Amino acid sequence: MIGAIAARDWLAAFRTPVGWVLLAATQAILGYVLLKVLDAFTGPEPALRTAGLNLELTHNLYGTAAVVLLLVVPLLAARSLGGELRDGTWALLAGAPIPLASILLGKLAALALLLLPLCLLPLALGLLLLGAAPVDPGMLLAASFGLWLTGVLFGAVGLFAASLTAQPIAAAVAAYALLVLLSVVNRAQALGAPQLGVLDWIAWSQHLFWFLAGVVRLSDIVYFVGLTACFLALAHRRLENARLD
Amino acid sequence: MHADAQLAGTRARAMVAAMDALLTVQALSRCFGRARALNGVDFQLRPGEVVGLLGPNGAGKTTCLRILAGLLAPGSGRVAVAGHDMVRAPQQAKRHIGYLPERPPLYPEMRVDEYLTHCARLRGVPAGARARAVARSLRRCGLQSAARRLLGRLSKGYRQRAGLAAALLHEPELVILDEPTDGLDPLQMREVRGLIADLAGRAAVLISSHALAEVQASCQRVLVLDRGRLLHDGPLAAPNALRLRLARAPEHAALTALAPVAAAEADAGAQHPGVYRVWLAAGTDAEQLAAAVVAAGWGLLELTPVRSDVERLFFRSVGLETAA
Repeated sequence: MIGAIAARDWLAAFRTPVGWVLLAATQAILGYVLLKVLDAFTGPEPALRTAGLNLELTHNLYGTAAVVLLLVVPLLAARSLGGELRDGTWALLAGAPIPLASILLGKLAALALLLLPLCLLPLALGLLLLGAAPVDPGMLLAASFGLWLTGVLFGAVGLFAASLTAQPIAAAVAAYALLVLLSVVNRAQALGAPQLGVLDWIAWSQHLFWFLAGVVRLSDIVYFVGLTACFLALAHRRLENARLD
Repeated sequence: MHADAQLAGTRARAMVAAMDALLTVQALSRCFGRARALNGVDFQLRPGEVVGLLGPNGAGKTTCLRILAGLLAPGSGRVAVAGHDMVRAPQQAKRHIGYLPERPPLYPEMRVDEYLTHCARLRGVPAGARARAVARSLRRCGLQSAARRLLGRLSKGYRQRAGLAAALLHEPELVILDEPTDGLDPLQMREVRGLIADLAGRAAVLISSHALAEVQASCQRVLVLDRGRLLHDGPLAAPNALRLRLARAPEHAALTALAPVAAAEADAGAQHPGVYRVWLAAGTDAEQLAAAVVAAGWGLLELTPVRSDVERLFFRSVGLETAA
């Protein structure tokens, strides 16, 4: 059942221009970033800097891709769930003999599938340099995995925001607010409290950082999976309550 | 003792009726904020029955149907479909329902057959039976020629048919249709009515409408809802009843002996004698009755169609008529 819902959403993304425009725009942005990164290594003393090539690649390519995800995923999630609520197609899902949790998991699976090619784009760009530069494929793979987990988390936040309102625009704005809050929550130094470990842990960027450094830690995976499940549970609760309102 | 036995008998009859019923709605109420959309609604549907849910706009029809389809939770009361409680066992209850909302839930970027296959998966139709179910539904709703067309490009009539095809895919025992002919042209209306008539006997059908003609054309029984209350639950009156007022009242037997009269009864509520409710015999019409009455020399003063209780209730509920 989860597969049926995911397949329909995925089909909707690629039968309309949404999926293609997203991939093309991301490719154009990442291509430009790659050229900028390579520029720094084509000067008179490139050998001195090659040791930093992989880090430069992951931080610039994947960092930019993470910003693209931050901008795009709330819109996709709002379209996926908020669009159904607005267009009345939610009646088809809610009237079918399927648990609400399966519907939400199907929606998230569709987003995860849609984000997969997007997360593989920087990997493909990085691997283009194989043979011409000492690229570390393992590091790029770890960064791709981290980026994908980040995108799935953004998707769950977007679905939660979409469950709050039937207006996709309002849902996307609410998701941006939540994601920006999750991005800057660890900037506690500005508040004069430099030792706020929990807030540091809550910020997604801290966990993505380790993946971009090529380090896949179980604690970071637990963070992404746990927070994703948390936002899905909130969306589930909200939609369940909407039946009572 | 006698009272106890009577009470037990009444309860036993109610239980038997509930066991026979496909849909049982008991004391159903629902509020939206302070507004009470439904207030203590009770009714039952037996298998194969076609029932109209009639009421003016804002009467609570759509709220009632959304609760029956499991989209909204009841505020209080109980809904059971084929013995499954909609709150406690929603999955099992929904398996027996095919629901078509007022606006068919269609995805414009999907083709008709793709959409129906998707609906079949959602409805839990086994993989091996899906293609057959889709083909049957396409045929039944006259959509074979449109099977490969995008839903977003279909006309309103075809969109309604596609919604109906999706609701009927899994051969539900209870079909709930919310304003199925709203916005359709007369030809499309006739087609949808034909589809509903085709369903009668195979599934219980509950149709909501604010159009009397719609309900009279399709339903055997009618529920009238107004401001959240169920005002009437009963069979539709025979459509060929006429009100006859005569200057010189004949013997009852003489009136029923006329060829066009199948049955006649004196109108107890009339202020004057000589007022009757007359049912025409098959194959006869009002003109033949008028001619027979004139020939008998009873002095024809009035011959008008009798409005059903439903019609009176409906117009009273919309404020066009005061209670007599």
